[in-house]
Parts: sequence; structure tokens; C-alpha cells
Amino acid sequence: MADEATTIEVRPGLPGDRGRAASGRARALRRIFRTSKGLVGGTLVALVVVVGVLGPVVIPHHLATQIDVLHRLAPPSAAHPLGTDQLGRDELVRMLLGARTSLYVGVLAVALSVVIGLPLGLIGGYFGGWADLVLMRIVDAIISFPVLLLALTISAVLGPNLTNATLSIGIVYAPYLARIARSEVLKVSAMPYVEAARASGAGHVWIMLRTVLPNIVPPVIVQSTISMAFAILAEAALSFLGLGTQPPTPSWGLMIQAARDYLDIAPWTALVPGAAIALSVLGLNMLGDALRDALDPSFVMEQARRAEG
Amino acid sequence: MLSYILKRLLLLVLTLWIVLTVTFLLTNVVPGNVAVMILGTRSNPETLAALEQRLGLNDPLPVQYVRWLGKTVSGRWGDSLRFDQPIGALVRQKLVTSSVLVVMALIIAVVASIPLGVIAARRQNRWQDTATSGVALVGISLPDFFWGILFILVFSRWLRWLPSSGSVDPGQDLVQSLRHALLPALALGVGLMAHLTRMTRSAMLETLSKDYVRVSRAKGLAERKVTYKHALRNAVGPVLTVAGLQLGYLFGGVIVVESLFNYTGLGWLTYQALLNRDVPLIQASVLVIAAIFMLSNLIVDLLYRALDPRIEYG
Amino acid sequence: MKRRTFIKRGLLASGSVLVLGDLEGTRVLAQDASGTPKQGGTLTWGHSETTQNLDIHQTGTASTLRLLQNVHEPLLTIDDHFHVQPNLAASWERSQDWLTYTFHLRNDVVFHNGKKLTAADVKYSFERIKDPKTSAVSFDVFEDVAAIDAVDDHTVRVTMSKVYSPFEARITYLNCAIIPQGSGDTQGKQPIGAGAFEFVQREFGNFTRLKRFDNYFRGPAYLDEIVEREVTEATVRLTGVQTGQMTLINDIPLDRIAQVEKSPNLQVKTWHPLSWAFLNFNHKVPPFDDPDVRKAFDLMIDKQALVQGALWGQGVPTPTPSFPNSPYRNNDLEVRKQDLNQAKALLQKAGVRPASLSIKFKVTTNYPWHVQAAQIMQAWFQQAGVNVSLEQLTWSDWLSQVWKDKNFSLTMVNFFTLWEPDFLYYNIWHTGGSFNFRNISDATLDGYLDQARQSTSEDQRVTLYREAQQRIFDQAHDVILWYRNGSLAAVPALRGIDTIVQPNGSNLAFWRTWLAT
Repeated sequence: MADEATTIEVRPGLPGDRGRAASGRARALRRIFRTSKGLVGGTLVALVVVVGVLGPVVIPHHLATQIDVLHRLAPPSAAHPLGTDQLGRDELVRMLLGARTSLYVGVLAVALSVVIGLPLGLIGGYFGGWADLVLMRIVDAIISFPVLLLALTISAVLGPNLTNATLSIGIVYAPYLARIARSEVLKVSAMPYVEAARASGAGHVWIMLRTVLPNIVPPVIVQSTISMAFAILAEAALSFLGLGTQPPTPSWGLMIQAARDYLDIAPWTALVPGAAIALSVLGLNMLGDALRDALDPSFVMEQARRAEG
Repeated sequence: MLSYILKRLLLLVLTLWIVLTVTFLLTNVVPGNVAVMILGTRSNPETLAALEQRLGLNDPLPVQYVRWLGKTVSGRWGDSLRFDQPIGALVRQKLVTSSVLVVMALIIAVVASIPLGVIAARRQNRWQDTATSGVALVGISLPDFFWGILFILVFSRWLRWLPSSGSVDPGQDLVQSLRHALLPALALGVGLMAHLTRMTRSAMLETLSKDYVRVSRAKGLAERKVTYKHALRNAVGPVLTVAGLQLGYLFGGVIVVESLFNYTGLGWLTYQALLNRDVPLIQASVLVIAAIFMLSNLIVDLLYRALDPRIEYG
Repeated sequence: MKRRTFIKRGLLASGSVLVLGDLEGTRVLAQDASGTPKQGGTLTWGHSETTQNLDIHQTGTASTLRLLQNVHEPLLTIDDHFHVQPNLAASWERSQDWLTYTFHLRNDVVFHNGKKLTAADVKYSFERIKDPKTSAVSFDVFEDVAAIDAVDDHTVRVTMSKVYSPFEARITYLNCAIIPQGSGDTQGKQPIGAGAFEFVQREFGNFTRLKRFDNYFRGPAYLDEIVEREVTEATVRLTGVQTGQMTLINDIPLDRIAQVEKSPNLQVKTWHPLSWAFLNFNHKVPPFDDPDVRKAFDLMIDKQALVQGALWGQGVPTPTPSFPNSPYRNNDLEVRKQDLNQAKALLQKAGVRPASLSIKFKVTTNYPWHVQAAQIMQAWFQQAGVNVSLEQLTWSDWLSQVWKDKNFSLTMVNFFTLWEPDFLYYNIWHTGGSFNFRNISDATLDGYLDQARQSTSEDQRVTLYREAQQRIFDQAHDVILWYRNGSLAAVPALRGIDTIVQPNGSNLAFWRTWLAT
């Protein structure tokens, strides 16, 4: 799934802007949670993280895999507050434990795409010329590659499991990160303080790491939250095809995939994991949007000027 | 401009070659081959060996690679190993099928997202913003097969308005072709709508803060006119850009929706090829999908550049 | 031959009729019993699987055979009790020493291309199957054939190099169908046969179109046209027939069959077996080389509960894979009941500590109910103290890893249409058999099977195959799990649905179906 490029325009840097940018950013971040988007998004994400981390600790695993065919597809009741699935397993417990899988996929896939994409975009954007040309071709090649081919191949060679599927997802999302990183690097490179650093004879690596990198981090973070959302959805799609999580491990993707045959007779089996996915993806996207709004340079400058009085 | 286009086309060919080579390597690294799939549980070692020989699977890799390169350049791909059909015709047929679906999905998404994005931008950070963004986001928050099944139940089973599966060649019967594509297009469109809404929103915000819009407001034109006349016109550009960029994903990435509806397009074909280890068919489909993706990117880039020469390209 | 006359007409009016054998409940609407067949109409069939290569000699998939049943004809055929009957051959003789078969062809058979059937076509077809380059599915049937001669235009003589008693039964398989001389190369794209319908067009993965062949040797069919639409998604398929978009579907989603049977707007037919499934151990991977360990696993499984859980009750446990009304079936065998204590005791006797076992159960997503079954069995194995983890494989991965490379410990799979006992038992259980992916090598069993395929006494064959089943059961070489039910749902307007399902439980023929109104 593609994401749009940021179209925030570059403003020529005024003296003192770098410092202002930093303090303005801090203020902007604090204000995020005053916006409804930021608040709602942040809360949802926090919820998922807490459930994902604490769930497996608090809930005994066997509750999620207890098969009870006589009570399959049972509607919500006292014994099973969210009903049971097609093998009689409790939906509530499986949903709560499924958060861990989604967290795992989201974090790992994004981490991988950052590790791959960031250097590509950074080097290409900074150096330009041949390096840029070659690296961006690689990026283009990865983007136009069907996720499926990669996922099926990796799972056929390394075995079908969640980690391998997540690997494929991470690789496929790396280009989006690379592109964002690159366009940000291009903007930042034009800033006076970067020019100054270059003029002062500093080495390329130092400039890249100390001046350029810190300034491109915010949009990268924004993209990461959005990629995390897509990673969770990608896991659902791959589960549809039997890749990813292996049964009976609870995962929202696997649950919704299994539930598709029963949508008309037992809708809760799809709605429970569906709602969980929806809320997580919604939360991540809202948080990402709020972050993007907050880190928009004009907004940041506004905040900075306001702070200066 | 011309030299830029030529340069981009050359780079496109280069990238396609990278894709082709990587696909070749990947499909040959995977264990199992199409002969096993063809014979299935009726295979025995002799017939399997004979078939592998007949299909040229035992030739050394470099030989197979060069042979494949030759076929791609000359445009004569030969037959699919698994399905015994000419690959060119198969791909062409499924491409047409997919095109109907893709265009429909894009239209649905664009038509839905522009009003939503406009509302969200005009009422930035107020409840309308959150609400419309929420509505749009719900679209991508659930997997497309979820929407697919929902729409089948509502529009096909309950209301009996639309067929629940299959695809029809638009050349043979355009109306039926559109009817069969509508439900899958809706399922896809719901997800796309989310991206485009947010794109519209941010593009609108961008333009609304520009100086000339402020000047327009100062002149005293009615607020509405300001919004729709100037800002929208300028925001449509980026939106269509993104919509165009979705083409590549749509052609290759919709396997799940196509499988659900048995809407046998290019994504479905690629998936079948993958499942069957039908190496030439895999390579042909992946190449076509990659080419569409890159071409649509290129066209969109060029249009964008032509419309707004101020924007720098690296 | 294509009529299935198990259900006596008089009993039709009342709900389900349980018949021993391959028909289970048949709910037929009251009007169906009467009504004169009329010509015309198109049947739209929602097919549960994708059809593949259309070359009848090469295609091994049950799905393609189901379709091609209407296009091709074999030399001989079978009735509902698996007795060989004439088809394209009006009669035939077998020599005393079982080494020569002489077939007398009918003189009124015409192919779809207008050519009349002659002995040359039979010679061509059989030699094509015999040629290893064809990679024919029935290649092994002709391995012991020394020569095929066209004695005259309507007489074919087949000479064997040694006795192969299953020969007549094996050539009734559709994969041995007779095609026009020289048509081999085009069969994959444009099948030409002698069946009731001829091939018109196919859009791969989407649909195939057949139309009535007026010169079919048994008389023209009633339907004008058959359109086979491939709809692999179960809910979508069911919706298709409920809305009337499809005239008929096969494979109603298992969990809906009970509900759909009560629907007043659909005719439903269920039968068993469509297929049978078994749990497989790799005999080269300890501890599965020990029959006691295999028996222990057999005892961990509650087969009736498994059928309830994985198949929604649409199946029957069975201790043997022979078809229910096959004369070779050993009806003395009984399924082992679940007994976890005995299972644990057996493991102990074998010197295996359950906790030390860590087994990967490879299951293919091709059959979703297998994945369900694996999860249910996994839970039982857990109760017995054995830790089993699941690995879902695509069909192609399963075929290459498990089937071809024999790289697995535990797996399961199903088979269709193996009603002929030599085809069934020899290939699957004989040492080196082509379907023996479990590395089974049992000299006693081999003895029975070798003798059976050379035996010229029907009674002796029956005894030998029954002994073979007993041996497989005693040694628990595999655990036979169930027969799965087949099902059809059709709109009320379609008549003659009792004639559709063929004796092998899988192929569907539409020659005697018609559309009312």
C-alpha cells in the first residue's frame, strides 16, 4: 500500500532557526495531545501497547487454545463475553493475546524498513549524482515488486512463520521510508546550517549524522507510525493466504481470515478481531497525522515565535 | 524536457531489468518446481523426470536466464508451463480484466475522498476533521476482504443487485463487465479512499495557507468561492498524483480481493503462477505489473512537472 | 450407465434416505420425481476448484476430471458397484491366461470433430499413455502391456507381458479416455472426445463453456450448454446458487450443509465418500518407525469428534480407505476409539518419553478443514503429553517437501477416486509405490499386494486385499481418519440431479439433467 509524499514546502532558513526549530518542536509535541486527533490516537496506541506487553504475562496461554467444538461459534455470553470462534475458543482471550502478535509485526517490520530504507534515502539524498541514481533504482525495483512474491518465496525457503512474513513486510515498506528520508534530506541540505558545516570543512559522515539526520527524524517517525498500521494489515492479508502466524497462535489477522466463512452466521468472530485491527490502525494513523501536523515547519515556527513572545 | 523523458525511460528499462533478474533468482531459489505441481499426487519418479526434461527445467540456470531474456525482448513468451496456454494472451486478457477493476476503484475512491478531504481541511482540528478522517480511516483499518464479504452479503445476497463472483470481458459485454467489477472495486475503493482523503486534506491545507488565497479573502470574495475555486483546483493535482501512483499497487497487490470474488485479473494470475511455481508465467506477470507501476509513476511525475515547473527534481 | 438408481422412486417423497454405500441423505423436492425431460437451457455450474491442464491423459486434478467427465469417454466403464461394464467397447474377451484382451468397439461412436471411432484411435490413445514422454497419469497401467494392435476397424487386441489383473478396471478411469488419432498435441487447449458435450471455450480461472454434442452415441443430452464458473470462495459459491446466478454448485461449505438442507428454495444432495483422508507418519523418522508409537497416536484421536469438529459432521470415520460398497472392503475392521491412557502406556512400552518429542505437523492450506483437523488433533496430542507444532504449507510446497522430497515427520492428506484396489493399495502402501511418500516398507504387506495383482481368481484377490487392510490397520502404517461427504446444491428448476454424481464419488456428469420451465 502506497503512502503519499509530504508536500511541505521549504522555507529559506532565518538566523536562529535551528534553535527555534528545536524548542518549537518540543512545544508542538506537547500540544499534540491537546488536539482530539492526537489524544484519541495516542490513547488507542497506548492501549494496544499495554495489552500487547502485559497480556501474555497476565493471561495463561492455554486459555486461547482450548478447543471446545460443542460450543463453537457461540454468541457472547457470561462464560464467553465476546463469543467463541469456529473451534470453540474464547474470542476475548484470543483478541487480547493477539495484540502481542500485532505489536511484534508492527515494531519489527518498521524497524527493518528503517534499517534498510533510512541509509538508502540518506546516502542518495545527500550525495546525489550516481549514488542517488543507483539507490533510487533499487528503491523503485523494490516498490514495484509484489509483496506476495517476496512473502511466498521467503516462506518457501525459510519456512512459513510470523518472523519470515514480517521480514517480507519490512523489506517491502523500506522504499517508502527511503523516499521520505531522501526528500527530507534534500530539503535539509539546502538549509544554511548545513552549508555552514560543509564550509567549515567537516567530513561527510559527520555532517550526515550530526546535522542532517536529526532533522529528518520527525517525518521518518511520522511515516513509521503509518507503516506500522500497514504492517498490521499486511499480516492480515498474508494470513489469508496461510503465511504469517501459524495456528493455533492467536493473531488478529488469522482470526479475521478464519472468520470470513462465518460472517453471516457468527459476525462477532470477524468483528472482534476486525475491531481490534481497526482501532490499532486508526490509532496509529491518527497519531501519525497529529505528529505530522505538529511537526509541520510552519506550525513549529508558529509555536516557536509564540514562545518567544 | 525531452532529454529528461529519455533519461527517465532509460532508467525505467534499467529498473525493469533489475526486477526481472531478481524475480528469476527468487523463483529459482525456491524449492519445488512446476512439474511436481502439474502431476500432483499422480506423479511417480519416471513421469516426473520425463516432464522436467520436457519443460527444460534441467537446463543450467544461466542458459534458462538468457533464454528468458531473449523471450522477453522479442515479446514471445511461449506457453505457461502449468496451464498450457500462451503466456502473452493470458497476461493480456487478465490485464484488461484488471484494468476495468482498477479504473472503477480509482473513480470510486476519488469521488468519495475529495468532498471528505475538503471538509476535513476547512474544519481543521475541529470535530469535523476528526470525524471525516475517522470515517476515511475506517476504510483502511479493516482488510479489504472484510469489506468484500460485507458487500457480497449486502449487495448480492440480500439486495440481489449485483453478481457475487466472476469477471466478464468488456469487449464481449461492457455492462456485465462493469457489474461484475463493481463489488470488488468498492471493496478496494474503500481502502483507497482513506489515502486520498488524507492527501486531499493536506493538499488543501497547504493551498489554503498560501498567500494568494489570503489575498482573495482580503478582497472579500465569499469564503466558499475562495475555498472551492482556488484551493481545490490546486489540490486536485497532488490528489490525482497519488491516485495515479496507486495504479501499480492496484494491478499487482489486489490478489486478496480478486481471489475472494474470483475476479480473475492480473493479481490473481500472478498468485496462481506463484502457487504453481510456473516460472515463466511468474516472470511475465511480475514484469508487466512492475512496468505498469513504473510507467504510471513516470507519467504522473511528468504531468506534475509540466503543471508546476517550480518543483525541483533530484 | 450414468444413472444412479440407488434410491427407489417411491421413497423419494419423504426427507432423507440413508442408504449404505455412497449415497447419504438426498433431499429432493416433491415435484422432481415426475416431469418429462425437455431439451434446452444452460446450466451454470459454480465449481469449487480451478481446473488445470485440459489434456485428459495428463491431468491429475480431480477438479479437471470432474469437468472433463462430460467431454471424454473411456473404453470401458463401471457401475455403482464398481463392476466393469461396456462403454465404447460393446463387448470384450479376456484370454484364459489373462495375457490377451480383445475389445469389440461399437460402430456408432463419433468424436466431436466428426470422425467415427475406430480401433486406430484406441491404439493411438493407449500408446500415447504408454509413452513416458506424455507423462500420462495412467502410465503405470500400461507398463505390463507388450503390444496394442488394431486387428480391424472395430477390434483392438491388447497383449500383456505378464498378468496384471487390475487392467480392465484401470482402463475405466477417465484418464484412459479414447481420443482421436493424432489429436494429442491439441488436447491441452482444445479437448476433443466422444462425450455428451463438446468443448467450446475456456477463460482460464474464470469459466469453461461446453455445448451439447448431438451425435453422442448414447443419445443427445437435454441441456444446450454448460457453463462451468470457477468460484473457489465457499460463501460466494453458496450465495451464487441462492441468488440463482448459478444453477448448481458442488461442495457446499461444510458448516452450512445442515442449514441449506432445510432451505425450501434449493435441492441438496449429499453422498459419501467424496474423498478419504489419513494421518501420515514418516517411517524413516524416529519414533514413527515403531508401530507401537503409531498405534499410540491412533489412540489419541477421537475420530467421531474429529469429524464433528473439522467436517461439521459431514463425514464418517473409517478404518479403511476402500469405498463403502467395494467388494474388497474389509468390513470386520473397526476404528480405534480414543484412549489416552492406553496411548501413554504404549509410548512408555516403546521407550518414548512424550515430553522429549517435538514434532512438526505439516498441513496444506489447500484443504482448510485439514488445518482445522490438525489443530484439533494437536490439542489431543498435547493432552497425551506430546508437543506438536503446526506448519501450514501451500499445495506446491507440500507437494515438493512432503510428496517429492519426503521431508516431514507428521502430515495428512486426502485422496479422491481410488476405488480400484490395486491402484489404491499398491501405489500408496507397497514398498517403492509411487504414492508411498511415507517410506513404508512392509514385506508382509508387499507379499499380499504383489500376489493380488497377478492373481487370476477374484475370490483370492478379495481375500488378499482384506488381509492387506488388516495388516495396515494392525501396524498402524497410517491412521485413516474419515470419508468426507460430497454435496451439491441446485435450483428447483434443475431436474435429474440423482444422475449427476459418478460412482467414483467425485466426477459429475450432466448428460441426463434438464431444466424445467
